[in-house]
Order: sequence, then structure tokens, then C-alpha cells
Amino acid sequence: MPWVTLIVLVPLIGSVLMFVTPRRDSAAAEGAATGFAIATLGLVVVAFTRLDRDNGALQLIDHRSWVRSAGLAWDVGVDGMSIWMMGLTAVLFLLAIFAVIATRPDRTRSFLGLILLAEAGLMGVFAAGDLVLFYISWEAMLVPFALLIWMWGDARRRIAGLTFVIYTMVGSLLMLVAIVATGVLSATGDETFNFSIRELAHTQWSATQSTWLFAAFALAFLIKIPLFALHGWMPLAYGSSPLIVTALMSAVMSKAGVYGLLRIAIPIFPEGAGNLALPISILAVIGIIYGSLIAWQSTSMRMLVAYSSLAHLGFIVLAVMSFNQMAGQSAVLQMVNHGVVTAAAFAMVGILGRVRDGDERIDRLSGLAKGAPWAAGIFLVITMASLALPGSNAFVGEFFMLAGTFQERPVLAVIACFGIVYASVYALRLYQRTMNGPSDEDATVARRAELRSTDVLYLAPLIAAMLVIALWPAGITDSTKAPVEQAYSSCRPSTSLVADAQPGTREYEIATKGLCR
Amino acid sequence: MNVAPLTPFLIVSGTGVLALLAGLLPAPHRRIAPTLLSVLGLVAAGIVAGFFWGDPDAALSENFTSNRFSVLLTFIFLVATLGALALSWREPAAADKRGEYAGLLMLAAAGMILVAGAGTTIVLFLGIELLSVSLYVLCAIETWRMRSLEAGLKYLIVGAVGSAVLVYGLSFLYGATGTVSLAGTRTSLASGDMLTDPLTLAAIAMIMTGLAFKASAVPFHMWTPDVYDGAPTPITAFMATATKAAAFAGFVLLFSGALVATFDHWKLAVAIIATVTMIIGNVAALRQTGMKRMLAYSGVAQAGYLLIGVATGTHAGIEALLYYLIAYIAMTFAAFALVVQREREIPNGDDIASFAGYGRRRPVAGIVMTLSMLSLAGFPPLAGFVGKFLLFSAAVDADLTWLAVVGAVGSMISLGYYLRVVGVTWATEPATDGSEGRRSPLAVQSVAVIGGLAVIGLSLGASPIVDACRDAAAAIIPL
Repeated sequence: MPWVTLIVLVPLIGSVLMFVTPRRDSAAAEGAATGFAIATLGLVVVAFTRLDRDNGALQLIDHRSWVRSAGLAWDVGVDGMSIWMMGLTAVLFLLAIFAVIATRPDRTRSFLGLILLAEAGLMGVFAAGDLVLFYISWEAMLVPFALLIWMWGDARRRIAGLTFVIYTMVGSLLMLVAIVATGVLSATGDETFNFSIRELAHTQWSATQSTWLFAAFALAFLIKIPLFALHGWMPLAYGSSPLIVTALMSAVMSKAGVYGLLRIAIPIFPEGAGNLALPISILAVIGIIYGSLIAWQSTSMRMLVAYSSLAHLGFIVLAVMSFNQMAGQSAVLQMVNHGVVTAAAFAMVGILGRVRDGDERIDRLSGLAKGAPWAAGIFLVITMASLALPGSNAFVGEFFMLAGTFQERPVLAVIACFGIVYASVYALRLYQRTMNGPSDEDATVARRAELRSTDVLYLAPLIAAMLVIALWPAGITDSTKAPVEQAYSSCRPSTSLVADAQPGTREYEIATKGLCR
Repeated sequence: MNVAPLTPFLIVSGTGVLALLAGLLPAPHRRIAPTLLSVLGLVAAGIVAGFFWGDPDAALSENFTSNRFSVLLTFIFLVATLGALALSWREPAAADKRGEYAGLLMLAAAGMILVAGAGTTIVLFLGIELLSVSLYVLCAIETWRMRSLEAGLKYLIVGAVGSAVLVYGLSFLYGATGTVSLAGTRTSLASGDMLTDPLTLAAIAMIMTGLAFKASAVPFHMWTPDVYDGAPTPITAFMATATKAAAFAGFVLLFSGALVATFDHWKLAVAIIATVTMIIGNVAALRQTGMKRMLAYSGVAQAGYLLIGVATGTHAGIEALLYYLIAYIAMTFAAFALVVQREREIPNGDDIASFAGYGRRRPVAGIVMTLSMLSLAGFPPLAGFVGKFLLFSAAVDADLTWLAVVGAVGSMISLGYYLRVVGVTWATEPATDGSEGRRSPLAVQSVAVIGGLAVIGLSLGASPIVDACRDAAAAIIPL
């Protein structure tokens, strides 16, 4: 069975069905959407069981020719790194569909259709073994998110959607040119183009080619994450989207950017990655501090979580661009962690927002713990995970990311540590302001924040995931070892190559220092 | 004397004349008969043309050639004419002029077939004139509407200037090489001693100008928005697609074919025209409020993308150009079909604003509009994306990476206006007055739906189409 192809196609088919079926029966549409999301998750689990997780190569490959003469193909596969991204996507989209069904936005059916389309796009990004297919999925993911902002956002939705589209398209169209250039320049023999990600990793580039092509790819990826200085679209888009969409963008879509760095930009252009690693790392560190400070000053719960997300993603980018095996592996772990924790945090924002009918301002809330003790308890767990308290799932990831980064860039790692301090400040401040303090009104208002059975439906899996990862992070890091080694293989010195190369030649220099030095 | 390769041309022009005559039939028949006759002629010509998709052939002592390039383009012209006829089905306006309407459309198509199969510069020019003169009349056929008359007059004046410059350039080319045959010009120029001849250079410049007028490339595009806006909408759709395809057939036959030896002289000029065309077309389209004017400027920009294929001078460039032409026709016809549909429903149906909330009331129309606009903007995995991808690949392959970057920037700008239409179509606000008018005929709706399906189908099933384009391109530049 072409398992990976099915993982991409099932949500796509579900999405199309949402649009073509008659519009009257919305309960059936909700059931069908849930069914397709569960089926996707099931397929990811099947792929997981069939995967050889000690092997770094892409597996369960399904290759079909599309436009033969132009070298375009449907080429998908999975490895120990992408399987976790797919798992994260499948779980969070399923929970998002639960949340949609619980909140019933206007035109639920189209909303669900776009959510499933976004899931298909993300699955395509994580499964693609071919650059053009990657690009197609990358764009396929943009359209539904843009439409979700455009059609269900608040009063600023037009400008928010447009800013989002323009920012990401600037990145992705330059990436398209870079993909074409990569395909043409790397073609060997009688073939005209070569877009296979697996084969491209062995291409020899000149230093200039490598740097420019890496820059074009990285720009698209870093805008999507977003990295500080490229995050101009973020406040508007995160601020004016429906909360479910914001949660999905922050928890899942941002991971597509980091994944692109690890899967494409660094392995194919190691030398360019090495040349640009320092500026990107510096921006990441600025992002950590800046995001934390803005989160500290935020008046709205949603923007607090959004900016804290900017800071946390800064840690991940810093770790990925350190080319350190430990940092890279923990970065993948942290991508999963961040997805789970951020989704839970945004869910909490939605729950607390109910108290004032959707008003998300922090100063409108106080002393909710008295009326909503269960919500307070869960919120505390999420807060602890968000500030990476030892014992929480995020602690393992952040600790090893910083430890790994410290070996390569000690100064930046030390500065980044301040971000952890700030994280406790803003996260605890939010908890303390909303949950503790005087509750001047009667308890019925606060009780609106108490967990309902529908809330438990999507919060319980997230909390469970946090606990499981906290107890057994090796489950993830073991399987990411080989893929991350593969991604960094040209970056590191290689003893086997040193033996073959003549001292003084370029090959020798690469073998002793690694291309990223 | 071998006339067999001319059969599609003869069928189309013959039914054109018959359709003109059928317009003189008694009242109930003259409304339907010309259109039906034309449709039959188009289908017959299509079937006959299919038989020539094989070995190259020539007619009338090499004046007319038949190869895969000309056959592929003939198919494109036939489909576009069929689309235009479908969009004009029961068009209330020109009901009493059915004969002229269908007949002239067929004659224009015949001229296009002549262009694609031209073996000499004379036949090529004849074809261009035949299609231009027919279109001058068709633009002005709604004689009671000032805008239509204005469009016809403008097109006549500008088109005549373009034709004059073109024929002047062709005569210079004859002076320089001593032959009107396209193949003869090619061998004559390849001998090398007249490459820097001022006569040749002047000929290149004037031919480029003349064809740029026809293809509405900047800076010769000024007529496009006014004429597109004023002409009856089905005619506009026909001009935007078929006429553009014919102009690019001329570009390919002359530049990539006959003038290929002088590639170094015109490569940069075509690349620069492509650059300004893409940028000015896209920027000007941003500010339009009418669909037809917006599509006119978008058509200018699309001409810029197509010129990339010419500027590469390679086999891959022609292949990409042909594929993009096919994709462009599908997505443009889908868009124009919706404009026709809306225009028949309400008086100001051409306004972008009149599409507000249209997708909610007519979901199929909304989906087609979304597909068409996204494809025009080059969103994957639609046909427009595959076309742009092939064009950009060809450009990078021909060391014109900067041209591909300009194309990418142009696509970025174009998002501004294409996405606006998508946004308006699905907006929450109801239409201006809520009046719906009557539904448009099945013919118009089916053009929209077929165009929308083709936008997807041409991409998912791109391989055979691209292979066909590759075979066709091999007739101009052998692999």
C-alpha cells in the first residue's frame, strides 16, 4: 500500500468532499471531517509501525512520474524525523476539528474543508521527496490559511490576510526560482532537471551558488517560522484569525519552516548554511529576547502566547543552525513539544476568553481559580510546560538544545538563556493575573471558564502527550538520531573522507572542517 | 499540386462563407443556422487536422506547411473559436447579425490557421491581415453602442499601424535575403555575411514592433484595455486567447524559426520587452475596477511571460510557451465565461464589485472563478503553475535567470489583483441590489465549467500535453 501517498490524499479527499456535498446536513459534514482526520492519524500510525527508525534514509517511498520531460514527479516518503511532524499534524488537526465542532463557527462546513486542505498541504510538505512537490504542498498550505483569515477573521481580516499572503509569497516565489535553478544546475548526463531531494544532497556547488540558493530557500522558511525581522505578518495574522486557526499556524505551520531548513536547505547547501548561520542565529537570539519582552508587556492573552511562540521558535532556529547533533535532535523534539504546548495554550486562551464573551484582554480577568478550579489546574500544567520547568516535556528539549548550541556558539547560547528567565516572568504573570487575585464578582462569571466536556475532548490528549514526552523523550530523540545525522552529514568533519583526500586540496579542507565551518 | 494540408483552412473559411450566407435565411433559421454551421465546420476541421499530426507536409509550393507545430496551434484556434461561439450563444445583442458574427469569427480563425502554417512571409502576413480585418468588424459589431464602435475604430487604427510596420519589416527582410520563404530566409541568414547588415537589423526591429502590437506587448499595448473593454465580451475572450496565440505563432515562426541565426541581435531586445511587459501589465492591472480591463492588463502581463519562451531561443522555451498558451486559454476562457454570465444577469456585470458574494449564491461559478484566478496567478498545482514553471526552467536553462526572477516578481505583484477578485467573490456582503436576473444559457455555463476543469486537468495530466508541445516545438527547433 502507498501509505504515505494516502496520508496526503485522505485529508485532501475529505476537503473536496466538504465543498461538493450538499450544504444542509452540517452534522454529517462534521462527522465526515472527524472521520477523515482520524483516518489520517491512523495512516500515520501505520506508517510509524512500518518505519525502520534506525535508518536515516527516506522510506516507504512512493514514486510516480508526473511531467516526465520536465522531471516533475510525485515522490513521497517518510523518515524518523518527518514521521513526528506528521504525527503532530495529524493529532493537532484532529483536535482542531473537535474544537471547530465544539464552537460551531459560521459556515462550519467550509471551515472544516479548509482545515482539511491545510492538513493535506502540511502532510505534503512533510512527505515530499521532490522539490517541486514540496513547493506545491507549501503553496497548498498557504491558500487555506489565507482564506481562513480572510473569511473568518475579525475586523482587520482583509489587511491581515493580504499581509500574510504577500509576506509568504515573497519568500515562496523566490524559493520557486531557487528550486528551478537547483534543478537545472544540478542536472547531470542526459536528464534536463533534477529535483530529487535525496540525490541533490550529493551535489557539488560552488561557494557562491550554495550561499545564494541557501539564502533563497531559507528566506521562505524563515518567513513562515517566523524569524525575528521577518515576522511582520505575524501580529496581524495571529491577532485577527479565529483562535483555532492561530493555534494551527503557530503550532503546526511554523514547524514546516524549521522542517524545510533541516530537510532541504541545510543538507543540500551546507556551505551556504555555514556562511549564513551566524546572522540567522543572531536574529534568532534577538527574537528570543524581543519576543519575551513583548510577551511580558502584552495586554492580550492571545498576543502573549503568540510572542512567546516567537521566542520559543527562536530557540529552535538557533539550535538547528548550530549544526550540533545534540542540538538538532532536541530541536526536533522541541518542535513536537512546542506544537503540543502552544496548541494547549491557545486552547486555554479560548476557554478563558469565554468569561468576557471573547474579550482576550488580560486586565479584564482576575481570580478565576476560585470559580474554575479544574481550568486553573490544567492552565498551571500548561504554564509550567511553557516555561520549561524541569520535569516538564519542554525542559528536556530546551536544555539539550542550549547545551548543544553552547558547544558551537557559547556567547549566543548564554544570551539565549535569558529568554528562559523571561519566559517564567511572562508565563507566571499571565497565570497569576488571571487565576489568582481578588475575584470581585460573583462566582457564576468565573465559572464560565470552567472546563466543559467538549474542552476535555481536545485538552486531554494534549496534556497526555505532554506527560508522555516528559517521561520518555527518548521515544522521539532515538528515531531522529539518524535523520539529523544525515541532515548535518556534510556540515561535520568526516574522518573517512580525510583518509581519501590529498592535504591542501578543497576536498581535504571540507573533510577536516566540514562544509559549515 | 498538393492541397491536402490546407484542408482544415479550407473547411473553416468555407463554413465561414456559408455562415455569412446562412444569415440571409428566413427569420427563425437565421438566428441558429450560422452558429450551428460554424460549430460543425470547427469540429470537422478539428477531425481533419488530427490526420496531419504526423509527418510534415507542404502545400502550394511550400507556401503553406503542415507540421506538428501548425497542427497543435490549429487545435488551439479551433477550441478558442468554439469557446467564443459558445459564449455568444443566444447573445441577445447581436441577434439580427448572426451571419456576420459567426462568419467573421470563422474567417478570423481561418486567418490564424494560415499564420500557424505559413511557409512564406507573404502567407504569414495574409493570415494576420485576415484575422485582423475580421476582428476590426467584430469589435464594432454592436453598432448601437458607442463603446463598441470606439473599440473597433481604435483597433482598426492601431492594428493598421502594426500591420504596416510588420509588412515594412518583412519587405526589408526580403530585400536583405532575397527570399520570402521562411526556411529560405533561415538558410540565407545562416550563411553569415548579412548578420550585421543594417537592412537585416532594421527588418528585425520592425518585425518585432509589428508583432508586439498584435501580441499587446509593452510599449505597444495601449490599445488593449480600451478595445477589450469596448468589444462584445465573447469577442474579447476570443481576442485575448486566439489572437494572442496567433501573434505568438508569428513570433515563433519568425524569430525562433526564420531569424534564428540572428539570435544574438534580438535576444536581449525580446528579454527587455518581456521584462517591461510583465512589470507594467501587472502594475497597471492592480488599479482596475472592471473585470475586462483587469483581464486586459493581465493579458498584457501574460504576454510578457510568453515572451520569456521566445527570448530563450531554445527548444525548451518554445515547448514551455506552447504549454503556457494552452493553459492560458483554459484559464482566460473560464474567467471570461463568468464575466459573460454576470453581464447577462445584471447591467454592470463587468464590475469587479458586482461579483461580491457571487460565490455564495453560485458555488460552481465561485469555484471556477477561484480556480481561474489562482491559475492565472501561478498557484500550484494548477495549469498556470506548470506553465510558469516550464517557462522559468527554460529561462534558467538559457542563462536568463534574471528574467525568471522578474517573472517571479511579476507573479507576486499579480497576486494583488487576482486574489482581490477571489476575495470579492467569496465576500460576505451581498450583491449591490440583490437582483439576480435570469440564468445564462447552458453553453455559457459549460464553457466556465470546462475551463475550470481544464485548469486542473491540464496540470494533473500534463505529461501528454507537454510531450505534444515538445513534438510541436521540434518542428521549429529540432531537438
